[in-house]
Parts: sequence; C-alpha cells; structure tokens
Amino acid sequence: MPARILIVEDEALVAMELRFVLEDLGHEVVGTAADSAAALALARETDIDLALVDIHLSDGPTGVTIGRELAVDHKVAVLFMTANPGMVRNGVAGAIGVLSKPTDERIVQDAVSYALDIRSGEARNMAPPQLQLFAQEPRA
Amino acid sequence: MPDHPNHRPSWTEAERLAALRDYDILDTEPERAFDDIVDLVAALFDAPIAVVNLIDEGRQWFKAETGLGVRETPLETSFCAHAILEADRMVVADATQDPRFACNPLVTDEPRLRFYAGQLLKSAEGLPLGTLCVLDTEARPEGPTDIQMRALEVLADQVMTQLNLRRSLKHQQRSQAEFRAIADSMPQMVWSTLPDGFHDYYNARWYEFTGVSPGSTDGEGWNDMFHPDDRERARTRWQHSLETGEPYEIEYRLKRHDGVYCWTLGRAMPVRDDSGRIVRWFGTCTDIDDLKRLDQAKELLSQELSHRIKNIFAVVSALVALSARQFPEAKPFAQALRTRINALARAHEFVRPHSDVSQPLMGDTTLHNFLAALFMPYTDDEGRPRIRISGDDAAFDDQAATSVALLFHELATNASKYGALSVPEGRVEVTTERTGRGDFHLAWREKGGPAIRGTPAKAGFGSSLATLSVEGQLAGKLSRNWNPEGLEVLITLPGTALSRRKAARDLTTA
Repeated sequence: MPARILIVEDEALVAMELRFVLEDLGHEVVGTAADSAAALALARETDIDLALVDIHLSDGPTGVTIGRELAVDHKVAVLFMTANPGMVRNGVAGAIGVLSKPTDERIVQDAVSYALDIRSGEARNMAPPQLQLFAQEPRA
Repeated sequence: MPDHPNHRPSWTEAERLAALRDYDILDTEPERAFDDIVDLVAALFDAPIAVVNLIDEGRQWFKAETGLGVRETPLETSFCAHAILEADRMVVADATQDPRFACNPLVTDEPRLRFYAGQLLKSAEGLPLGTLCVLDTEARPEGPTDIQMRALEVLADQVMTQLNLRRSLKHQQRSQAEFRAIADSMPQMVWSTLPDGFHDYYNARWYEFTGVSPGSTDGEGWNDMFHPDDRERARTRWQHSLETGEPYEIEYRLKRHDGVYCWTLGRAMPVRDDSGRIVRWFGTCTDIDDLKRLDQAKELLSQELSHRIKNIFAVVSALVALSARQFPEAKPFAQALRTRINALARAHEFVRPHSDVSQPLMGDTTLHNFLAALFMPYTDDEGRPRIRISGDDAAFDDQAATSVALLFHELATNASKYGALSVPEGRVEVTTERTGRGDFHLAWREKGGPAIRGTPAKAGFGSSLATLSVEGQLAGKLSRNWNPEGLEVLITLPGTALSRRKAARDLTTA
C-alpha cells in the first residue's frame, strides 16, 4: 500500500535520489526537510506514515530530537539514516531503527517495507540485515 | 712594586688587585674581630706594632693596626710590599743588615724599625692580598720563636677566614639578586617552594598574571588560583612529586587577573644537597592557552572536514544513481560503481578523525571491525554472517583504507555474482596472520560455491582493481588459486602496509 513519507536530509542530491527510490516503490513523498523547523512544520501540516531521518542536518545533529518528536507526537514510523549509527546505539523512543549510510536502493526499499508492515501491525520475523532495530517500548 | 729579580710570581698585579677588590674590605671601618687579632699578635711577639695590612694600588691600607696610629701609608717604604713576593712569609731579623731595607726611611729615620715578621694573607685562589705582620724597633738577631711564627700563621689564617666568609656572603647575595633579576625578566611565571611544598617565592610574572597581592598565595594559597575542576588533580600530582622527588608536570587552568581561566603548563624540578636530600623546588608556569585553543580549533576543523568528505561521498553516490536514471541501460554500471563508492565511504567513515562523541562508538579502527561492517550485507536467513573473519587483527589508517575497501569489496562482489556467495550454502573464510618476520598475510577462501573449471581466460576489471590495490597501493603480493572447491586468494603485505603513517611517525621519533 502506498505510504506518505517524509525525507529529513540536508544534502539535496541525496534527498532527491531517495525520493526517486521511494516513488519507484509506489510511495508518495510528502516533502523534504533539511532542518528541524521545516521537518516539524511539515509534520504538523500533513499526515505522515513514515519518515527517513538523517541525524546530521543543516542545523546540527538535531535528527535524533526530530525523530523522537515525529514518532511520539505524530505517530510516524521513524527510520534513522546515518553514517554513524553508533550515535543512536541506545535507541530512540518510538523510532524503529537505524540504517547505515551509505545505503542502496534495495536496502532502503526493504527497510521501508519492513517499517510500514510493523506500523500496520503485520508480523515480520526478520528485519533486513542492514537495519539495526531499536528495542521497542510498549506504546502508550 | 719593587723589583724582585729572583722571584717570578705566578700572578699579575692586575689579577692581585682584582682579587683584593673582590673582598670589599678596603676603606671599611675598623672591626673588633681584626683589632683583637693585631692586639694578640703584638702581645705574643712582645712588639709595639702589629698590622693587618692590605697592599692596594700605590698604598698599603690597614684593616687593623696597633702602634702606628695611621690607617694607610705609601708603598715605597713598605716592608710588606716585599713580603708578598715571598711564598708564605718574610722575617727580617735586623733591617739595618738587610740590603732591601737598610736605606728605607722607616729604618734610617723614625720610627727606626729593625725587626719584621709577616705572614701572607692569601685569597682562596692563592693571590697575596697583604700580610698579618709585626714590627719592632729593636733587632732580634735570634729571630722569632717557633711558637710565635706558628701563632702568626694561625692568626693570619683567622683573618682570611673572616674575609672569605664575608666575600661568600656577598657572592650569595649577588647570586640571589641575579636570580631574581632573571626570574623577573622571564616571560614565564616562576615559583619556588620549601622541601615540604610551602610556596615562598613567586616572580613578577606570577603577580602580573594573577593580579594577586604579593605574599597572598604563599604557602598553599596557589591551589585557589586553579580552576575548581583542576584543583584536586593538581594537588594530588604535586603531593606525589613532593613524596617521590619526581619532576612535576601538569596542565591546568589558572585564573587570570580578569577572571578568565587560561590553560597553563606547570613544571617543577627539585634541587638537592650533597647528600641527595631535596632542599628546594623550583617551578614554572607557562601560558599554553593559545596553543591549546589552537589545538582544539584544529581538531574541530579536522572533524568538520572529515564530515564534509563523508557528505561528499553520499552526494557522489546519489549523483551516480540519479544520472543512471536517465540511462536505463547504464543501470548495471551505475550499480557496480555505486557499490564501490559506498565501500570507499564506509572505509573513510572508519578511518576519519572522530570527535569525542563519535569516536568511542566507532570501536577501534581495526581491520576485523572494518571488514565486519563491510560484509554486513552478506548474511544468511538467520542473520549469521556468510563471510567469517578470524586470525590476527591489525590497525589500519586512512592511507590504506581505500585499498582495503576496494580489495574486499571486489572479492565479496565477485563471490556473490559468480562464487560461493552466489548460492545460499556457500561460505567464505577470511583469515589474517601477522608472521614472525612482521609481514601480514590475508587469505580469502570460498567454499560451497559452484564448481570451478580452471582459471578464467581474462581477468575482469574487478580482479584488476583488487590486484592494483594490493600490489600498487599496499606494495604487497596477490595470488589467485582457482581450486576446484572454491577460489582462494592469498595476499602478503609488508608489516607496515596497513599503518604507513604510524610507521613513518615511529621512525622519526625513534
């Protein structure tokens, strides 16, 4: 099922490529944000199913806070994307997991499918190997 | 000075005068210690005249005298001027019989001197300054007694002891003044403590820098000038030095007069006496604030740069993919290129300078850690790795990163396209070994893949890249064995190939 996806990434070309990858899967990219203000504004204005969030953005390493707020306040399925996954080693409340950059199409597509399945309650035994899952807290 | 043709002194008059001046005794007031000595000498010899006589330029000057009533007389008629040319003493039993003195006005006229006995007063360096002498108006043909001469010798010694003591004190005071002058002119702060660590001296720089009033940081007061976070550490380190005598060295933040804490390097060395006991500590404080801030700025810049480079990899990778979208037939090419770029990016991430935040989370920059990250995509259905790594680990730096990344990326990619990783049950064993000779051996062995029928006719580009990386960049050797059970790739690297920067550094510091 097509999902509404938010891309939070400050490198325009990387964001563009991601957009194409997701659209190839049939999803709708509702927007691209390069900093926390833009990301959270979009979240307030539109419904979002899933967000791919880079940790280092144009306003600093604010991705973690953004991801947490999207997950907790807006019930968005959050996947972090970062070259330094150790920065979220202990997990982030509400977020599903982290992908190591650089990724490729296949990995992103597998991870997005997995995350959307989880969100809609479908059982999935195995996450794609490149997606590091966070321990899930029981949802309030 | 009278001529004495038979006696060549080992000193010059200029040297002798300089030595005399150094004693700072000429023209000083009479003193009890010296007066007592001439009185005793006169009594011992039962003679009317005794003198502590110093031979100056053009005159003889008396520090102490009895029986003369004057404190200086010209040199022309001096007996002692002759005496100082002797080795140690001079005795004239009857001046009228001595050709040196028979015509001397002091002999022919008043006071009509006849007898003379003088013991040389010599400086610590052996230069004659004058004499302790005794004179009589009556001749003593039998000469002085042995005990009189012995007494004269001892008392002359006493005179010199007094003078030497005085001179030492003067030198010591001058040394101290010189020290203070040097210490106050140095750009560093200088301080000194008693053996127990009690600070009793700071130079001008310390007071200028800290702005405290003189004496207010004596004793233990120095510790309050340190940043609160550094106080305990500094106190412990100082205590350790006091107890062990080890040189003291520590970096801490010192409060400047305007309240700003500046990074400072504190160092101190002990001064020991002849028996090896510490008698004093001397220390310095050097302002390294600028240096440290520069270092921190450089560190930050380095991390900034490395972050940017990392971003560039991501952008290039995206560009390749985006460009390939316009040319669907180029998709396989773009894919192959992209995975190679991604391997480089991963390697760069491993070896780039990291901030305090990201470094501990990276783990050590070791070969095994890196390979594990590179091979993460190759797992079986249960998530277990299909490429197993074992053996001796090794550090590797940014110079080797490209080669290592490309080499293993190619091996893995080929294995997954044509080799062991192209079938589910295929596996790869990677073993690494540092040999006794210091070389580094790597072996890549594929098992469980499709059967191999001999060596391929032409090397693919990937194979060439792998060989180039090993033999060109890393100066090693690579050989491929197309064994029936699976490809075996053997690589030999010189010991320093993986950490050339470190090896070069070690060489220059050795």
